[in-house]
Amino acid sequence: MKIHVYAGLKDYFEPEFEVEGEARNTDELKTLLLAINDKAEAMLSSCRFAVEEGFIDNAYKLNSHDTIVIIPPSSGG
Amino acid sequence: MTPSSSSRPAVVGNAVGAAGTMAGAAAESGVVLSVEPIDMVGLLAGAHHPRAGAVVLFSGEVRDNNRGRAVSYLEYEAYTPLAEKMIRDILEEAKTRWSLQIALAQHRTGLVAVGDTAVVVITASAHRSEAYAASRYIIDRIKHEAPIWKCEHYADGSREWGNNCNCHAVTGDVSKHIYETGR
Repeated sequence: MKIHVYAGLKDYFEPEFEVEGEARNTDELKTLLLAINDKAEAMLSSCRFAVEEGFIDNAYKLNSHDTIVIIPPSSGG
Repeated sequence: MTPSSSSRPAVVGNAVGAAGTMAGAAAESGVVLSVEPIDMVGLLAGAHHPRAGAVVLFSGEVRDNNRGRAVSYLEYEAYTPLAEKMIRDILEEAKTRWSLQIALAQHRTGLVAVGDTAVVVITASAHRSEAYAASRYIIDRIKHEAPIWKCEHYADGSREWGNNCNCHAVTGDVSKHIYETGR
């Protein structure tokens, strides 16, 4: 599963990487991500997740071929 | 990150430019994010409409300080496909809600110098109250919701991604926001 992260999350992860292991939903994906870097826990708790041009929630069934975009709180303007 | 290379704004409405161009039509395939400096004067020149008695332009600009620290410049990053879609949807909603003739927004990505424009919103309506209200609505929602982030680069050489929307601390939901203007 490919992961893209932005902004402050790049202080914890590479901008683009792949996660090993199975994640059926975003909660399980968070667990995999924290296994990579548990210092990202506070930031991950405030992030949204997206696939392509749409936000997803924990009810969305992740596919191993999905590219997951992890979106920190906005700070535009 | 894949910042957009286009500098055309998103326009909702039928703007007739000062030079007689149809800014609305020209922007049909345009994008709302730009790595190029925003041509604020050009955007305003194109934002006139025979049924609009009021045009409001909001320009968000880069300050040289934040929370007591000297700022050298800002760096904006965006998840472009979703940010552009969301801003277009916000403009469409505002146009319908306030019967706007024009709703336009453009946001910078990349490095933005102190004094430069980071974001522009232009609204045009029959009377000023609708144009002002819509402008506040559009910029509030862009700042809270669009996946755009700024990194402050300070004069001492340090940097910080910051000023994030923190509404979730109150609402308990990262998708629910509290706006200055209410909803």
